[in-house]
Amino acid sequence: MVSLSFLNPLSSEGEEIVREKGSLDHISDINAELLMVVRESESQKISNDSYIPQSYADLAVKRVEWYARKKNDKKYNHNDYAFLLNPEITEFDVISFYIAAQSVGIKFKPNSRETRLMIEAQGKLVEERLEKIPSYQRKEIVDNLLNQLVFEDNIPWTSIAELLGSKKIRLADLILDQGEVILEKDDFMDRFDEKIIGRPSEKMYDLLIGERIKIMIITRMIMQNTENYIKRVHDMASKIEPHPSLLQIADQITEKINESISYYSSSGGGFGGDIKASELVHEAFPPCIQKTIEGVGSGNRNDAIVLLLTSFISYARLYPSVFRNDISMKISDIDADLQITINEILPLIYDAADRCTPPLFEDDPQEKLNITAKLGFGVHTIPELKNEGESKWYTPMSCEKIKIHLSSLCKPDATCKNIGNPLSYYNRKRWELRKSGGKSKTNEDTKNDE
Amino acid sequence: MFEASTLEERRRYYREEWNVKELPDFIKKDLNKREFGFDHLGNGPNDRYRIFKTQDMIRRFMRYRSPFAAYCSIAFYNKPWQRGDWLKSELVFDVDAKDLPIRSCNCEGVCNICLNEARQIVLLILDTLRGDLGLKDIHMIYSGRGYHIRVLDEEVMTFDSEVRSQVLKYVSGAEAPKNKYVLENEVDQKPYELEHFLIPFGYPAVFTSRVKHSIMHITGKEKIENINTKLLKDIIKYRNLVEKGEWGLFKNKIGPIRYKNFVESMSQLNMGIVDAKVSIDLKRILRLPTSLHSKVSMKCMEVKNIENFDPLKEAVPKFVMERKDY
Repeated sequence: MVSLSFLNPLSSEGEEIVREKGSLDHISDINAELLMVVRESESQKISNDSYIPQSYADLAVKRVEWYARKKNDKKYNHNDYAFLLNPEITEFDVISFYIAAQSVGIKFKPNSRETRLMIEAQGKLVEERLEKIPSYQRKEIVDNLLNQLVFEDNIPWTSIAELLGSKKIRLADLILDQGEVILEKDDFMDRFDEKIIGRPSEKMYDLLIGERIKIMIITRMIMQNTENYIKRVHDMASKIEPHPSLLQIADQITEKINESISYYSSSGGGFGGDIKASELVHEAFPPCIQKTIEGVGSGNRNDAIVLLLTSFISYARLYPSVFRNDISMKISDIDADLQITINEILPLIYDAADRCTPPLFEDDPQEKLNITAKLGFGVHTIPELKNEGESKWYTPMSCEKIKIHLSSLCKPDATCKNIGNPLSYYNRKRWELRKSGGKSKTNEDTKNDE
Repeated sequence: MFEASTLEERRRYYREEWNVKELPDFIKKDLNKREFGFDHLGNGPNDRYRIFKTQDMIRRFMRYRSPFAAYCSIAFYNKPWQRGDWLKSELVFDVDAKDLPIRSCNCEGVCNICLNEARQIVLLILDTLRGDLGLKDIHMIYSGRGYHIRVLDEEVMTFDSEVRSQVLKYVSGAEAPKNKYVLENEVDQKPYELEHFLIPFGYPAVFTSRVKHSIMHITGKEKIENINTKLLKDIIKYRNLVEKGEWGLFKNKIGPIRYKNFVESMSQLNMGIVDAKVSIDLKRILRLPTSLHSKVSMKCMEVKNIENFDPLKEAVPKFVMERKDY
């Protein structure tokens, strides 16, 4: 039977392993036992040393590198990392999990791309490792994991609020009754059997809940716990001198992530391939952004300029593929000297602010500081490199949020259908415009011309 | 009826009819942790950050100021006078009769018909809050032009806006439910189609009930995104099937492609049955139960029996009954 710490390194079993063997003094030493496990992993490539982690430190970096390449690199080959799915690696893996999480927590902020990738990598590992376990064993492991993560027989939906808040789970995807998330078949039958007409209740359980929902909850909870652990490390880091090896590992993780992004950038793809930073195409702006640029009335003015337009324009100009890549970046990663930000992005936002009624900064001059903050440069009048990272570079709000917060700006057109975010609209429309041959003409214009 | 009240009428109300003891217990408890706000001239609540340490202080304030409108925060603070040191907030759903996306009356403001339709929606939401979500400490307030559902179960009071938004979407049926499901051992096979109306529990059932309410109240004059006039007419033509619970036949009459679009449109429309901004705002102030809604001259009041509540009998102040045209 697979050890639970193979799936949940933050379990008490995992903590025990770290207590016994997790000294940081020799984490970069070559570890013969680890080498053997890696070499003996089914279908593992061993033709080149770079495929094989030789130490705990190497393995910690490989865990994140695996996920970054899987997401971004079209040349990704599973056999380069087959050792990650080998249960024999458990002890080494648990220790390397803590090394990676601590390195990331010490060096980077909780919302950095390194932190996000570390969390997502852990979630993906849980999914893939569970998938590889034979189904006759999986049921028991899933139940044991669930018992480990959730202390009650039935989970009150209110106890997973953290997962709901971080959007890791949708409330509407769960079957709820009397405040509880229904997970067990017996429980399901007790509550709903009489209501189900014309279908076998057991099959209904398998379709609506089955192992799928349990695995979803387990995975999301482990991701949440990983996030919380990294946050704790980050908070502690200001009080305790970090081990130098951890800082080195953090740098290696960044290096590997950057490499995987450059693989991605050179391979293109998606709507015509090119969704890299480039000049703004105003004709491709969605209706909500067009309306905001024209100026907004007092009710929605501040949110429209500060929250919607600032994030949209900055991402559309500098990093339009943020949702596709799913890797958070800083503005200076793309606009190193902030020339584009200061000379192109801010003037566009400030002009739109001036067109509002009444003009935004006449009423609320402090909103300039908020705009800078939303670009990731903290609460300052203008963006400066020394302040970068004091706040988060906000991604554009989703169409759903716009409908709630700025409903008067949401006037969907045909392209809006099946689009979840103004930035996705922009990428699609830009691609359509380019495909139809004119940068400045929409399809409709072309038809009229004919 | 539904006419604005004069200053003289407000004075009469607060001096002769209003009684501080009738404030609901959930307001009286931890009174000094809430922020109070007032509108004295009918221009909106611009007298804010007020606190009352005792019931007698409110009594005196209301009696002497006879405000146009009175509000108190859904939030509890350690420093309510500066909205500082937030502790928790009630979870609130605001169903305003005037803003319902579908109203069979089509009146300008509010009337008996749309108020009753708002009440029916409140009953549906209440059923979900109690049944699916297992919440217990729920208070219904008639606001004067609709209803506030105020939830004070401790476990939901510390939720942030994101969680509240998910609860809001669940109870209002604002997400198109999944209709394709895969069995674990059949991942490579075609998924099973299970429409929302075939699942008589959980979120699909919530969605079904909200959509049924809308279908039964459509007048044909509405403009609903992605539902054209022909589809609107067909919905009305075949809604007797929905009334009888024959959803499968209804879907057949509409057609599978149009039905898919219909489900999507209805989920967007359902977002409008509750004022989303109120539910996700942690520092909102809401009309104070027992106070006067001066724009329509109705009492804002806690409703103990929502099934039989009739605002035109129970929420009319004495001064309105004594008006010549009543």
